[in-house]
Amino acid sequence: MAAVITAAGLTKRYGTTLALDSLELSVESGEVYGYLGPNGSGKTTTIRLLLGLHRPSAGRAQLFGIDSWRDPVSAHRRVAYVPGEPALWPDLTATETLEFLARVRGGTDIAYRHLLVERFQIESSKKMRALSKGNRQKVALVAALASRADLLILDEPTSGLDPLMEVAFRHSVLEAKDRGQTVFLSSHILTEVEALCDRVGILRAGRLVDSGTLAALRHLSAQVIEVTFAQRAPSLEPLPGVTVTTTGPSTLRFEVTGRLEPLLAALAGHQVATLHSREPSLEEIFLHHYDGSDGHASTG
Amino acid sequence: MQALGERARAARSRGVGEQGGGLATLVLARRGLRDARIRTVSFALLFAVYAYIQPVGYRHAYPTRADRASFASSFGDNKAIRLFYGEPHNLLSVTGYSAWRVGGTLTIFTAIFGLLAAVRALRTEEDSGRTEMVAAGIVGRSMAYLSAMAAVAVGALILWLAEFAGFVAAGLPAGGSAYLALATASVIPVCAGVGALASQLAPTRRTALELGGAIVAVLFLARVIADTSSGLGWLRWATPLGWAEQMRPFAGARPLVLLAPAAASALLLGAAALIAARRDIGAGLLSARDRSRPRLGLLSSPTAAALRGQRATLIVWAAGVGCFALILGVISNSVSSAGISKGIRREIAKLGSGSITTPAGYLAFIFIFFILAISLLACAQVGAARHEEAELRLDTLLALPVSRVRWLGGRLALAAAAAAVISLDAGLLAWLGAASQSVHVSLPRMLEAGVNCLPVALLFLGLAALAYAVVPRASAGIAYGLVAVAFLWQLVGSLIGAPRRLVDLTPFANVGLVPVQPFRTAAAAIMLALAALAVLAALWAFRRRDLVGI
Repeated sequence: MAAVITAAGLTKRYGTTLALDSLELSVESGEVYGYLGPNGSGKTTTIRLLLGLHRPSAGRAQLFGIDSWRDPVSAHRRVAYVPGEPALWPDLTATETLEFLARVRGGTDIAYRHLLVERFQIESSKKMRALSKGNRQKVALVAALASRADLLILDEPTSGLDPLMEVAFRHSVLEAKDRGQTVFLSSHILTEVEALCDRVGILRAGRLVDSGTLAALRHLSAQVIEVTFAQRAPSLEPLPGVTVTTTGPSTLRFEVTGRLEPLLAALAGHQVATLHSREPSLEEIFLHHYDGSDGHASTG
Repeated sequence: MQALGERARAARSRGVGEQGGGLATLVLARRGLRDARIRTVSFALLFAVYAYIQPVGYRHAYPTRADRASFASSFGDNKAIRLFYGEPHNLLSVTGYSAWRVGGTLTIFTAIFGLLAAVRALRTEEDSGRTEMVAAGIVGRSMAYLSAMAAVAVGALILWLAEFAGFVAAGLPAGGSAYLALATASVIPVCAGVGALASQLAPTRRTALELGGAIVAVLFLARVIADTSSGLGWLRWATPLGWAEQMRPFAGARPLVLLAPAAASALLLGAAALIAARRDIGAGLLSARDRSRPRLGLLSSPTAAALRGQRATLIVWAAGVGCFALILGVISNSVSSAGISKGIRREIAKLGSGSITTPAGYLAFIFIFFILAISLLACAQVGAARHEEAELRLDTLLALPVSRVRWLGGRLALAAAAAAVISLDAGLLAWLGAASQSVHVSLPRMLEAGVNCLPVALLFLGLAALAYAVVPRASAGIAYGLVAVAFLWQLVGSLIGAPRRLVDLTPFANVGLVPVQPFRTAAAAIMLALAALAVLAALWAFRRRDLVGI
């Protein structure tokens, strides 16, 4: 499969701040890629470099094999973008905004746009200046989705949406995926990424600290085992590769990296009422990368 | 200032919350001052330099009493000159000349300053959502208003000091200078009141500026009519610019007149304060239309949409420029050259005014001001482009298949076209006004006078674009600053006897005074070539930089 997005050694400095450090990234055609990171970790910087809005300090970004700094117009022909801060023209109504963006892009799927306007409950005659952030975000989303562009770059597109609209958004992204469109979704809403994305990259202070499919990330992470004892929870000897948390008078939570046998052996002598084992959630994987670190310290 | 700064710092370190709203208001006022520092410093520099250079230039150009007498006799009755500077009371002395020339000019600037400062401190803050944050804290809305106005008051004080210092440095008596500077500065609170009230009425910054600007233009027009039409002198009492004249600095001072601006500003500022305390934050009394039927014209390209967005502003410009051109055309009839010797005419020319003693000469002189206005229009258009980028709308636009060169090129082409239309508009309406009074100037020559505005305006358009491409955040200050310095240098450079070569550095010195002089083709070609170079450099540099938000 051809790479739709390629970043090679992509680096951006603003003055003395290193906002993005040697990013290596490849997103394949047809996949939904989740780009995770807390505020200021460099997500928006990455997107601005991918779109050629900012100039890389080193390395390069390509969309469909076209260098997005040198030839942004060709690179953009097959891309639709929803910015994190939906900056639209205050004097234009929703209908006028959609029409303007479609005309400047040079084509859009009108029938699908009608459907999306219904689905996202867009108030067509309202001017942008009278809309809340979430409502402006919906207009930007409809414009991007209706373009049927081969690549959708979405920068925290649901940060202003209510739960109902969030459902509409997920539905639309899955529709896009079914049509073979590629989606680059920057987010810090982990359940959303978990529900939609095939692969995930985790960004911390401008560096990609982890990436891969959710299954692979889980495999590398700790497994969580929650145990309820018949009596009060016993105090166990420390075990290698096992972290214990007391979650109640008779419950313990174990995070296990590596083999399970030592824990099972330690539990054997106790009266266990219930035992739940589950895969770590994305949230746990994510927090694992930020646990007790200064990951929030950078800017971007 | 120092004490204020220290107390504000102390408030910050202890936590404003513990200190109550009073100190928080001080902190806010200080913030407001800081936001306005570039505008305040630019105006203060302008005031100090102008107040210094005019008395010095007058002594230099008219050393003897005889010189001054003939100057006074030629200028005293010239209505066309009164239009800008007001009614002179004593042109035989340095002080009388300064009161007329400096006072008359700078009241126009203080009017603009007051309006801008108030709208910036009130409506722009509110538009940005900052007022909402402030009012959500421990600062009440009345205190937020008060602190904004306190910052404007300090700005006014700084301008008063700057003008006073300029006069004293030029050797004018201190007491009279303080009073003259006070007369000039008395316009600020009144026009700040207009801006404050407009900010309460209008729901957006742009509407507030347009509304306030229209009112200030009417106030200026009232003074113009009072000073140029016999029998209508009483109109002077209807405008703060007239009150500044009626205070008669260096000509039998009438300090009681100060009650008029004091009462007017108390009324305006009080009314604005009452409204500010009672209305919804973020809204204006005049509600904005939030819905409309779709109008799909002018949406086919970024440039078309830019025209759509700028349409209302450009119409206001065309109407304003056209209106002034018409009035000036009518007034040009009252100019006469009777009794002016050749020597005096040379002296008038030294003022940078050309031979303004015939109707055509007067129109040629006036068109220098239209060149200034259209240059400012060019800067404002580049400012609108920058605004698009600062508000991040350009991120949305340039993520589409739109090249940067196409976007910026389109905006500049739009600005150039607007400048051309408004230049011709000025020429046509000045001709109409003159023709209505049977003044003998031909339409083609007046259209040529309009076209004559373009080389300078386009040069400044190119320079503004270059500043925008290289230093986006500072570009507005640089662009307006360049125009202001170039214009003032043209006015005062020759007056203070600067070498010809230095005076010629300003583009304004390189235009022919059409219609009395021929259009200077070579100079125009050079300016247009420089403009084209600047635009090319701007496009090149803009292609190579990051987009920059606020």
